[in-house]
Amino acid sequence: MSGTGLLVLAVALVLTAAAAAWLRARDGRVRTVEEETVGGPTAVLEGLGVRPGDADLTVVQFSTAFCGPCRTTRARLLHLQGTRPGLAYVHVDAESHLDAVRELGVRRTPTLFYLDRQGRLLGRSSGAPRPEELTAVVDAHTGAPS
Amino acid sequence: MTSSPARTVDVRGPRFAAWVTSAVLAAVLLTASGWLAAAQAAVFAVGAAAGLRHAPYAVLYRTLVAPRLGPAREREPEAPVRFAQLVGLVFAAVGAAGYLLGAPLLGALATGSALVAALLNAATGFCLGCELYLTVRRARARTA
Repeated sequence: MSGTGLLVLAVALVLTAAAAAWLRARDGRVRTVEEETVGGPTAVLEGLGVRPGDADLTVVQFSTAFCGPCRTTRARLLHLQGTRPGLAYVHVDAESHLDAVRELGVRRTPTLFYLDRQGRLLGRSSGAPRPEELTAVVDAHTGAPS
Repeated sequence: MTSSPARTVDVRGPRFAAWVTSAVLAAVLLTASGWLAAAQAAVFAVGAAAGLRHAPYAVLYRTLVAPRLGPAREREPEAPVRFAQLVGLVFAAVGAAGYLLGAPLLGALATGSALVAALLNAATGFCLGCELYLTVRRARARTA
């Protein structure tokens, strides 16, 4: 039995529990962000071809190929889009837009940005959003389907 | 990394593999066995290089566990999980080298790091190796 190993094992277990708790609290949660001054996130997103004026709510998703939750999130948003005409969905491959990724501070995928028709950033989230929370955010800004 | 991104796996397979990996890595820490760490590194290497279908724990899952569970209700793309095997391989290899080349503290720290990632994946489904992919790409683009 290795004493060092036992200690490292104990630390690893504590770290894992802490990380799991942190993820549970934070993953996918939509956080509101203060619009920065010049060259804020909206300007960067518009540089990627995002046109917030076209819909009540535009959701921009950053994904990578090596990201399982990205696909789930994408499928959910495409599904929501089918029943909510006020929702626009833009999918961005993070790898081909690394400059934007850096400017926007995207560290994880999926990262989602929520923009209203005026181009204001309503919020952002990283990690796969919980389905009910995602639906609630979308419905709050597009009007629930009739 | 030549597999088509469309190839999918039963989500319960990688979770099962993560539990087995966690148990093996915990055993490495308790026994300070470099050879056991090397064996785990080999398991990661097979999964990363030959694909998950040939990964030893996936074979174990398919032959022993899956038949008792019923059909897969959810599937996930293989590519992220396979990339994570590569990340696991790096940590397990450093761990094995540490133990076998007389640096047991390095061995324990590398093994402990791999254990956190494996256990987190097993318990919550969170894939640290997959998340690291963008971080690595961002850093690489900056230095290029």
